[in-house]
Amino acid sequence: MAEILTSQVVSGLATGCVYALIALGFVLIFKATDVVNFAQGEFVMVSGFISYTLLVWYGLPYWVVLFATIVLSGFMGVGLERLVVRPIMDAPIFSIVIATIGASTVLRSSAGIIYGYDVLPLPTIFSKDPIRLGILSFTAMDAGVIGSSLAIMLALYLFFKLTKTGMAMRATAQSQTAARLMGVSITRIFSLTWAISAAVGGVAGVLIAPIIYLDPNLGLIGVKAFAGAILGGFGSIPGAIVGGMLLGVLENLSGYFFNAGIKQVSTYILLILVLVVRPSGLFGAASVRKV
Amino acid sequence: MKRLLGSFGALSALVGLLVLGGSVPARGEDGVTDKEVILGAGLDLTGAVANWGVNIKAGMEAVFNRVNDAGGVHGRKIRLIAYDHVYQPPKAVTNAKRLVERDKVFAMMGHLGTPTTKAIKDYLEEKQVPDIFPATLASLWTTSGKWHVGDLATYVDQTWLIIDYLVKDKKIRKIASFYQDDEYGLDGHLGGKARLKHHDLTYVAEVDYKRADIDFSSQAAKLKESGAQAVILQAVYREPPRLAEQCHAIGYNPLFIGPSPIVLDKTIELGGKHVEGVIGVEVYPLPTEPGPFLDLYRADMKKYFPNLALDTTNLYGYQKAALFVEALQRNGRTLTRDSLLKSIESIKDWDPGWGLKYTYGGDNRRGMSRSARLVVVKDGKWTKLSDWMELQEGGRK
Repeated sequence: MAEILTSQVVSGLATGCVYALIALGFVLIFKATDVVNFAQGEFVMVSGFISYTLLVWYGLPYWVVLFATIVLSGFMGVGLERLVVRPIMDAPIFSIVIATIGASTVLRSSAGIIYGYDVLPLPTIFSKDPIRLGILSFTAMDAGVIGSSLAIMLALYLFFKLTKTGMAMRATAQSQTAARLMGVSITRIFSLTWAISAAVGGVAGVLIAPIIYLDPNLGLIGVKAFAGAILGGFGSIPGAIVGGMLLGVLENLSGYFFNAGIKQVSTYILLILVLVVRPSGLFGAASVRKV
Repeated sequence: MKRLLGSFGALSALVGLLVLGGSVPARGEDGVTDKEVILGAGLDLTGAVANWGVNIKAGMEAVFNRVNDAGGVHGRKIRLIAYDHVYQPPKAVTNAKRLVERDKVFAMMGHLGTPTTKAIKDYLEEKQVPDIFPATLASLWTTSGKWHVGDLATYVDQTWLIIDYLVKDKKIRKIASFYQDDEYGLDGHLGGKARLKHHDLTYVAEVDYKRADIDFSSQAAKLKESGAQAVILQAVYREPPRLAEQCHAIGYNPLFIGPSPIVLDKTIELGGKHVEGVIGVEVYPLPTEPGPFLDLYRADMKKYFPNLALDTTNLYGYQKAALFVEALQRNGRTLTRDSLLKSIESIKDWDPGWGLKYTYGGDNRRGMSRSARLVVVKDGKWTKLSDWMELQEGGRK
């Protein structure tokens, strides 16, 4: 019993880490630009197909593919920002959000036209054979996903904390006007934010696609990650990480204790409960407005 | 007020006349012209079971293209209009209405999916549109009314074979069910329950999943805890590899066995070594076997769909279309929906050339003589495990 429960938690954490990475992408863009990017899930899907193309069609080695996928995903983020978001930057936020939904549909359909709608297996270096450590039972795949996700999160943390660009990004998130007055190029920061978000989504794609298989509808996983981001408090980076992970574990446990129907809705039930008690999410700062 | 009542009376009389007039069959049959027969299909082309949808469509079109290139049947070419229902019942209904009312199809052909076909069943029955060889083998079609004509052994028949094989041949008594929580999964699941009762057994675990679910770790945990030696997969091709992986990940290695929807190459492509040893029920031969019908199938697929690999999925569509063409040929030039059903019923002990016979007539609208055999994944290929058997008619009670 204990062994089964711990393995449920570990595999839930692995899925949760991927949710967390996608949620991070949502939050980074939202913090910097006030836009909710509904194409975030499609970043995951497209990067899955990028790595599939490089690995299977061109037969490149895994590490080269991983690096190339992250870079290409970053460019995709910049491309989307330049082509779709920037031209309408002065439009109401709502219009921009709708534009990202449009972009997500275009990306999904394009992937379908190029690769077909069939599911494809994406090769991975992590084995799916079981590993046992005391009462812990998991796969190298789970460990790899959790490890890589944590590494990416740590790298991001250090980037924001220690580099000048990272500080400029944080400054922009706090006040665009003040940042501009200090000599920060806001447009460059916006592009960079989109690039980082898409690259993080790219990592998520490379990690999750071998597990749940690759197809043009893979981006729908973004919906769950979005719920994770809200759960943690939309706009909070630690919130996105904790929210995503919590979601993954909760999903697994509710599936184990109840049935598939409950598993499907459990995340949303939790989400509603948390929002009722804490409307700003677990880590969100309560927004106080002076009237 | 009186005037209002009067006009209401006139109106209802008019409506009554219209209804009466409408019920007299003024038959210039929809979808049949001098030069063409138009068929409709609702398939999943972009969703969770798109592999089946895309291939069934190609298989059917391979037959129709060959027939059309040779001038058609009794001077009429066959045109197939296919829409994507994404394996979602509401979309299937919209598509069916579009096909019947706007495109005016003569019949529905090879409609994919149990939940999706169930959703349009009553509508087709009401409109008296034949639902020919839907790509679902649910036992539902044996009792669905005049206009539904199935083609192969049902999931219930197949599950009875599975249970008997497990209990009698493999001496396994701890059997669990992993099933899709809809009309498809429940059909075999309930049929299996009924058959287990016959052997004085029950499932040691009943574990469900939702269409398009992608994670089965909690299902794997429950199955492991039940101690089941065999798990019956009332699933399609995406779930068995993932479930097997997740069972193996927690050190659980039961015998996996399932009905015909899992028997396709995609299952092996996705699962690799994790699906080695998985057993499936097959209701028609493998695409690679010898025989004149399969030679023709291979030639047609090569000619019309050179980029598609030969697979059980496109052969499934191909055999449906071949059976339909046989019925059209028997029908002769005067074609109505009623005459089509009669022509199908005239098919008795007909073998298209692969050793299995189709029989219709009486109440038996399923055709194929309930032939089935077991296949197993061996060295990454579906391989024959048993000879053809005549299945007994299974039931859900």
